[in-house]
Amino acid sequence: MATRTDILGAPLAHPGWLERARSRPGVLVAGSVVALLVVLVLAVGLGTVAVAPGDTVAILAHRLLGLDIGGTWTPAAETIVVDLRLPRVLSAMIVGLGLAVAGTTFQGILRNPLADPYVLGTASGAALGAAIAVLIPVRTVFLEFGLVQVLAFIGALLAVAVVYRFSRTGTLAPLTSLLLTGYAVGSLLAAGLAMTMYLSGTNLRQIFFYLLGGFEGSSWLQLALTTPIILAATVAILLRARSLNGFLLGEEAAAHLGVDVRRERVILLGLASLITAAAVSIAGLIGFVGLVVPHVVRLVVGPNARRVLPLSALIGASLLAGADLVARLVGGIPVGIVTAVIGAPFFLVLLRRARSGYEL
Amino acid sequence: MDPYSTPRPTTGGGSPVPATGRLAAAHAGRLAAAHAGRLAAALVGLALVLGACSGAGTATPVSIPPDATASTVPAESSGPEESQTPEPAATFPLTLLDDEGTEVDIPVAPQKIVSLTPATTEILFALGAGDRTIAKVEDITPYPPAADWLPVVAKFGSVDVEKIVALGADLVIAGGNDFNPPAAIAQLRRANIPVLVTYAGNVEGVLADIELVGDAVGEGPAARDLTASMRAGFDQVAAAVQGLPAPRTFYELDATKDIFGPADDSFIAQMIEQAGGTPITTGNPAVFSIPLEKLVAADPEVIVLGDAAYGTTPEIVAKRPGWSTMTAVKTGAIRPADDVVVSRPGPRLVEGLVSLAIAIHPDLASAFPSPVPAETPGESPAPSSY
Amino acid sequence: MIAEQVAPTTDRAEAADGQAPIVELTGVAAAYRDRTVLRGIDLAIAPGERVAIVGPNGAGKSSLLRVITGTLHPSAGRVTLAGDPIEQLDRMAIARRLAVVPQAASLPFAARVEEVVGLGRLPHEDPFRGHRPGDRAAIAAAIDRVGVGGLLGRDARELSLGERQLVLLAMAVAQAAPLLVLDEPTVHLDLRHQVETMDLLVDLNRRDGATILAVLHDLGLASHFFPRLVLLAGGSVVADGLPAEVLSDDRIRDVFGVDPGFVRRAGAPGPAETRDEAGGVGSVVERDRDAGPR
Repeated sequence: MATRTDILGAPLAHPGWLERARSRPGVLVAGSVVALLVVLVLAVGLGTVAVAPGDTVAILAHRLLGLDIGGTWTPAAETIVVDLRLPRVLSAMIVGLGLAVAGTTFQGILRNPLADPYVLGTASGAALGAAIAVLIPVRTVFLEFGLVQVLAFIGALLAVAVVYRFSRTGTLAPLTSLLLTGYAVGSLLAAGLAMTMYLSGTNLRQIFFYLLGGFEGSSWLQLALTTPIILAATVAILLRARSLNGFLLGEEAAAHLGVDVRRERVILLGLASLITAAAVSIAGLIGFVGLVVPHVVRLVVGPNARRVLPLSALIGASLLAGADLVARLVGGIPVGIVTAVIGAPFFLVLLRRARSGYEL
Repeated sequence: MDPYSTPRPTTGGGSPVPATGRLAAAHAGRLAAAHAGRLAAALVGLALVLGACSGAGTATPVSIPPDATASTVPAESSGPEESQTPEPAATFPLTLLDDEGTEVDIPVAPQKIVSLTPATTEILFALGAGDRTIAKVEDITPYPPAADWLPVVAKFGSVDVEKIVALGADLVIAGGNDFNPPAAIAQLRRANIPVLVTYAGNVEGVLADIELVGDAVGEGPAARDLTASMRAGFDQVAAAVQGLPAPRTFYELDATKDIFGPADDSFIAQMIEQAGGTPITTGNPAVFSIPLEKLVAADPEVIVLGDAAYGTTPEIVAKRPGWSTMTAVKTGAIRPADDVVVSRPGPRLVEGLVSLAIAIHPDLASAFPSPVPAETPGESPAPSSY
Repeated sequence: MIAEQVAPTTDRAEAADGQAPIVELTGVAAAYRDRTVLRGIDLAIAPGERVAIVGPNGAGKSSLLRVITGTLHPSAGRVTLAGDPIEQLDRMAIARRLAVVPQAASLPFAARVEEVVGLGRLPHEDPFRGHRPGDRAAIAAAIDRVGVGGLLGRDARELSLGERQLVLLAMAVAQAAPLLVLDEPTVHLDLRHQVETMDLLVDLNRRDGATILAVLHDLGLASHFFPRLVLLAGGSVVADGLPAEVLSDDRIRDVFGVDPGFVRRAGAPGPAETRDEAGGVGSVVERDRDAGPR
């Protein structure tokens, strides 16, 4: 196309780069995929132990694709790359993808730009589940998922279910009710968590590790179990992007546009909560990814969920894998700190640009 | 009480948070090291004497008073004699059951050992396996000095699994009860590195762990020698305090905000009992803080300052509001102790017990010509205050 | 001041070609929890009509709209859309039969005017691929029709209330449903925008054949622009017909409790007394469609 035109065909005078980016979603997606691959190679190649980039690629090619592109490497390097780093990087990617998609969905359904994946109590529910798991003096490991991960997953889902159930009573508008109930239940669970931490004595360590979030314990098996859940739910949400778009002007307008509001709300919130629970079960509580990535993407491509969802997924994956790499290189600090350092300034900028007048 | 940690609570939540701060314990560490160095060197020397019927000629600081019950130290160190624990064949491959009940297969005698707890570092060096140790965990009160050159591959709460793999470790000894993240231990095992998890909840457990580590690194006999001499030391202390009144003793871990002391049935509580005291505990095996009123009601006759290394002196304690009614404060029975040797589940535990016994029964100082700090309430431990 | 009298194109529910009424309510009652808001409603609207629902606050006007749009289930009676009972229609089917112009809603995210208008294509667009060329054409046509072309590319949140209302109207137009439903569309608008909106509705009705159903609180606007008024009070239909018949002095006194003189502006022509008096189409205010509202 020679010149950019607006929707009526009138040519736009001077399209800026943002405008050009916006009108070429395919380029954006391709660019995001490339960025993701770059982050993958960097994150797998860098770490406290240096593995030459050529060796990294060679190892990956050999183990993943069966290609032999030459080069020699030590067994230790191969173990590090394939058994330690690769599952960790992939875990970070799948969790980043999930959190970004869940954040987009919650923000869209709840019509609240400040919503993040934990807004309906998932964080507190998962933390409380994990804390209870630590208290129970039973050491069970099921498929490499410790009791902590399992109870965190269950806790997250239970919390959302409770919030949803409680929000249905009362006369408040459903969205307002959901948000307020989420806050109330979340606070209650946090109090329960504090109590549990008080009673747990020396087991405090494990709960802290969990709360700070991180990918130290990544394994192929954990990845194999959570990836299908997160990916399937993401695809399911993407297929319902039309409904998600319908919520933009409110639930009543959505109904008038043809959205089965009650059904779609339950389905979309349920899918997003499932993603969040799965992500939290292997990564603990990592903030800002689910909150900030959708906004950044919307700044470029607008609110259409059909574009925001896939781009948020890709960028969320890159962002969290990159943050994990930075966390490792800086010296093993929790990845939640890195995402906060990146995310908080972004968030402040967003607040300045935010307009008043959104509904609760 | 978790013997691995020196609880330095950072939250006011009532239960201790393990030490995350970098309180300047260097001075105290070196102080303890200096005093304990001689003891440790002697123990190492003892351990190296293998198969020799060393007998009473071996000079150790923990000398057996002529009137004490006979110890079995010389007999234990002789190889072919029957000993209490069956001497394992120092042959590999070997399968051991670690403290978590996991079967750990060690295919060959480890040449590249990684120690992930400070106590393990001490044990390895005490058993003569220090030259085969290639990496360690960060220790803010490091011991022995010979281990200072080892690279650090773990800190509180995190383990650099990649580095351990890159170094080609063939045995990792880790701490249970979540001292090292279980996820890291799992990752190391998945990378086919044998990981032995140790956790001693009581004094007997410490001895068992020393022997377990000894077996794992092929120094079984040395380990048994060490534990035997430690048992002798324990017996010696037991004999010394037998018949003495057991004063109510409060072991202070920290009192900057809440007061932290030993929990019921904890390691420290046990140590105090063995040192001839009646431990004042928090009343709950899972709680480590004690309200001031409860402590006042319990009225300790002796206060042992486990936080002496952090600058707490008897004078400071005496000035605390509300503490003046305690017998210990009135009689000035407030004595410092080196918390590291008292609570570290390693070879210096006897020294810790001795120091604790002397703190509780100062008259015993003469019975134990050991290099333990003999600070009395009158002396202000100047080196510790900084 | 505009005085536009238009001839009603139909007489009640009997269209010349005998089509089913686009909306029909028979004996409908509705309640919110324990509070009955509608009772014994009988109403039929034929395709191509232009109907205004008026009445005092609490009369049930919005509830009536909600019953018609399917967001409030009646406790008694039948509701049909183009002859089909509403219970048998899913939301998509309803969205293809009627389009609701929302009250100026707030937006949580920045959205361009064309994106908001594009929402109107939701019942028609491909669920997976989104807008097809046909949808884009409909969006462009709606924007042009309503005259908001000058607002393209702007963030809908930054528009004035009048502009935003027109954008939402364009969205409903883009939905291309035979029935256009509006709930107090002029409530926040200044007089000029009120009139422009009314003009537009009349235009849509006359040129495009859209059936218009609007709840209005302004009796003057209603009686000038709508050839049929339905007066609701206390949840029932009190009167239904030409404005002059419906808004008789007695009615105004009984239902609204005010002096009828307030409704008739001094010197201004009253509502059309008979069909014959209704004049032609014409608007005093010229609108330059391409420039959009000012």
